[in-house]
Amino acid sequence: MILGGLGAAIAKDLRLLVRDRAGLVFLAIAPIIVITVAGFSLASLYGTSARGTAPYELPVVDEDGGRIGRALAEALTDEPDIRVHPVASRDAARELVRGHAAGAALVIPAGTSDAVAAGTGAPLLLYTDPLKYLEVASARLVVEELRHRVENTARTRAAARLAKARAHALATRRRFERAAERLRRERARVVEALAAARAGAERRIEDARRRAAHDVAAAVAAIAAEREARARARLVEELAPLRAFFAELDARQREFATWLAAVREKAGRFADRVPPPPAPPVVPPALAALATADPATIAARLVPSGPPATMPALPALALPTPPPLPDLELPVFPEPPSVMLPGPLRIDESSVTGAPARVNTFDQNVPGFSITFLLLGMLLGVSLGLLDERDWGMLERLRAMPMPFATTLVAKLLARFLVGVMQMVTLFALGWIAFGISLGPEPWALLLPTAGIVFAGTAFGLIVAGAARSREAVLPVGSIVIVTMAAVGGCWWPIDLEPAWMRRVALALPTTWAMAAFNDLMIRRQPLAAALRPTAVLLAHGLAYLAIGLALFRRRTA
Amino acid sequence: MKTYGARTALAGVSFVVRAGAITGLLGPNGAGKSTTISIIATLLEADSGMVTVGGHRLPGDAAAARRVLGLVPQRLALYPTLTARENLRFFARMQGLRGAAARAAVDDALALVALDGRADEPVAQFSGGMKRRLNLAAGILHRPRIILLDEPGVGVDPQSRERIFEAIQGLVRSGAAVLYSTHYMEEAERLCDDVVLLDDGHVVASGTPGELVVRTGMTTQVHLRTARPLPAGWCDAAAGARVVGDARGPGIAVAVDDDGAVSRVLAAVMRAGGDVVELSVHHPNLADAFFRLTGRALRDEDGAKA
Repeated sequence: MILGGLGAAIAKDLRLLVRDRAGLVFLAIAPIIVITVAGFSLASLYGTSARGTAPYELPVVDEDGGRIGRALAEALTDEPDIRVHPVASRDAARELVRGHAAGAALVIPAGTSDAVAAGTGAPLLLYTDPLKYLEVASARLVVEELRHRVENTARTRAAARLAKARAHALATRRRFERAAERLRRERARVVEALAAARAGAERRIEDARRRAAHDVAAAVAAIAAEREARARARLVEELAPLRAFFAELDARQREFATWLAAVREKAGRFADRVPPPPAPPVVPPALAALATADPATIAARLVPSGPPATMPALPALALPTPPPLPDLELPVFPEPPSVMLPGPLRIDESSVTGAPARVNTFDQNVPGFSITFLLLGMLLGVSLGLLDERDWGMLERLRAMPMPFATTLVAKLLARFLVGVMQMVTLFALGWIAFGISLGPEPWALLLPTAGIVFAGTAFGLIVAGAARSREAVLPVGSIVIVTMAAVGGCWWPIDLEPAWMRRVALALPTTWAMAAFNDLMIRRQPLAAALRPTAVLLAHGLAYLAIGLALFRRRTA
Repeated sequence: MKTYGARTALAGVSFVVRAGAITGLLGPNGAGKSTTISIIATLLEADSGMVTVGGHRLPGDAAAARRVLGLVPQRLALYPTLTARENLRFFARMQGLRGAAARAAVDDALALVALDGRADEPVAQFSGGMKRRLNLAAGILHRPRIILLDEPGVGVDPQSRERIFEAIQGLVRSGAAVLYSTHYMEEAERLCDDVVLLDDGHVVASGTPGELVVRTGMTTQVHLRTARPLPAGWCDAAAGARVVGDARGPGIAVAVDDDGAVSRVLAAVMRAGGDVVELSVHHPNLADAFFRLTGRALRDEDGAKA
C-alpha cells in the first residue's frame, strides 16, 4: 500500500511537471542557453573556441624597415591568433585602437634595428585599449614571443663571437704570464740593489752625524772658554778700585787705632775721660768677599759655563741616487675582437583610449551587474506587476474608468523608470564609495546611458508582460532572456572575451550598448560625446520595445 | 452579438436597466453574464448590435460612458499592500476626483461599506467579506449613475453580504441604475426589481422575478414521504391538488393551486393510512423557472438537486 501510494505520488509529480511548460523550460532550456552563451563567450579565455578561433586584428606600423622590423612583421604574419594589418602611421594605428577596431597596435620605431645592433636597445610601442584585455594580452604575448625570438638569434650570434674572443684572451693571457715572470725576476734584482744602496746611505749618514756632533761640541766649548776669560778679565778690572779702597780703608783704620792709642796715652789719668770714638761702618761680608776672593772664582760663579743658546747647523745629508730599473720588454696586447651584445628590445605599452593600464575590475562589474539586476527588477516590477494587476482584475477595473488606460500604463512604466534610475544611481554611488569605481571625467554623463537602459528595460518588461501567458511563465522566459542579454552584452565579463560573431550578434542587444557607453565613460574616461550614440541606440531599442510591448499587452488584456 | 472564433458568446441579448432599480443578470457559469458586463463596461466591443450606456452609444462614446459607469468586478481588484483608504484614494484619482472631493468620496464610500474603522489597515489583513465590501466601495465611490456589479456576493460571509446589499439598495434609492450579475437565485429574488435570464449567450426570459415564475406556469408543490405506500386515487378528494411526478427524489410530489390545499393534501394522506414521515412545501422560484425554461440548472448543486 505504501509503495502504491509512493508510486502514485511520483507519477503525479512527473505528470504535473510534464504539463508545466514553464517549469520544463526552466529545467532544460534555461541551463542549455546559459551553458551555450557562457561556452561561446568564454571559449577564447581558454584559448579555444567551439567555432574556431577568430584572429585578432593587429595594426602594425613598421617605421624601422630594418632587420628587426622585417623579422617582427614576418613572424607576426605566421601567428594564427593575429591578423596583421599594416598601417602607414602611428596616428592611423592609434585611431584604429581608439575606434575599437583593434585592441592593440604595434609600432616598430625607426632605428630599432640599428639600436639593437649597437647594443643600446630600443622600444617597441604597443598602443592598447586596456579594456580589451584579452586582445591586448594576446598581442602582448605574441610581441613578447617575437622579441624573445629576435633576442635569441642575436644572442646566438653573440655567443659565437664571444667564444672567439675567449680564445684570443687565453692566448694573450699566456703571453702575459711569461712577461710577468720576467718582471718578477727583474723586480727581485731591483729590490736587492735598493737594499744595498739604503745600507750605504745609512752608514754615511751616521758618520756625518757623529762628525757634526763633535764639531758642534768643540765650537761650543771654545765659545764658553772665551766668554769666561772675557768675564774674568772684566771682573778683575771692575773690582780693582774696590780692592784699592778696601786696602786704603784698612790702612786708615790701623792709623786711627794708632792715633787713638797715642791720644789715650797722652791723656794719662784722664784717658778714661776721653770719649770713645765713633765706630766706623761695618763692611758687608759679600762686599768684603768681592774684595778678597779670587777673581776667577767670582767669574766662574757669576758667569756660568755651558754651550751657547744657538747650536750650529748640522751638515746637510745627501742620499745616494738609487740604481736605475732595467727596461721591461712588454708584449703587444692584441686588439680585442668586436663583441657587442645585442641591445634589449623592450615593449613600451601605452593606452591610447584613455583607459588606465590597470582597470579596476569593479568598473566593469558594477555597471554590468547593475544592469543585470535592473533588468531582473523590471521583470519583477513591470512584468509581474502588470500580470498581477491583470490577474487581480485591476487592469480591467482601470480600463473601465475615465482615465485613459494608456495614461495608467505609462504612469506605471514611468514609476518603474524612476525607480530604475534611482536603483542605478544608488548602485553606482555605492560602487564609487565602496570599490572606488571611476565615474569618468563627467559623472553626470552616466545618466544618459542609465536613462537609456532603464527605458529599454522598462519597455522590455512590458514585452514580457504582454508575451507571457501567465505569471508562472514570466520568470523562466524573462530570466532566460535577461541572463542571455546580460551575458552576451558584456555585463558579466568584458565583451571582448567573446568571439567576433557573438559580438556582432550582441549589437542587437541593449545591454551591449549600455555597457559600451559605461565602459567609454568610466574606464576609457571619455567625455559625454562618447555616450550619445549608445544612448540613442538604447532609446531606439526602448521605443521599439514599447511599441511591441503595448501591442502585445493590449492584445493580451483585450 | 459577440463571438470568440467559432464560439458564439452572446447573441440576441437585449434588455434595459432602469434607473433607481436593480436588474439581475441571472444565468449559470458560462452563460455570457461576464461578457455582457464587459461589453457594457466598455472592456469588450460587441461584434454587432447596439449598446447604450447612460445615453452614450458604445463603442463610439466609450469615454463618455465610462464617466457615468461604476464597475465592481467579480475579482477583488485591490492592492493588497495598500490600506483601504489608499486604495480608494487611488481609484478616486483615477475617476478624476481631486482634493477635498476625493477625500469626501473616499470617506463616504468607506462609511457606506462600514469600513471606516479599518480604513488605514492594509487590505491584505482584511477578511474576504471586508475585501468584497472594499471592492464594492472602489466601484461606487464616485457615485456613478450606472453600476455594474459582477457577482459581488461570491464567497462572502452573511454579515458582509447584508452590508453589501444594504449599500447597493442605498445606491438604488439615490437613483442609480444597477446591473447585478449573479448565479445565486436567492440574491436575485431578494434584490432585483427586474431579472434577465441568460443561458448560452441568449436571453431566455426577462421581467420581474414574480412574472418569470408565473410565466413558466409552475405552482407550489408538496413533497411527501410516507411509512407505507398510498393507494391509488388517495388525492382525489383534496381540492386544488394533484399528484405530479416527483423529480426531487423518492416520495410523492403534489401540485397545489394555493397554500390552503396543503392542509387538504395532508388530511388525504392521513385518511389513506399512509403515515407521513417527511413533508415539505416548495414554492416555485427563479431557479425553477430557469430550469423549466432551459432544462438546465443555474448552479451545479441546483442541478444535482433537480
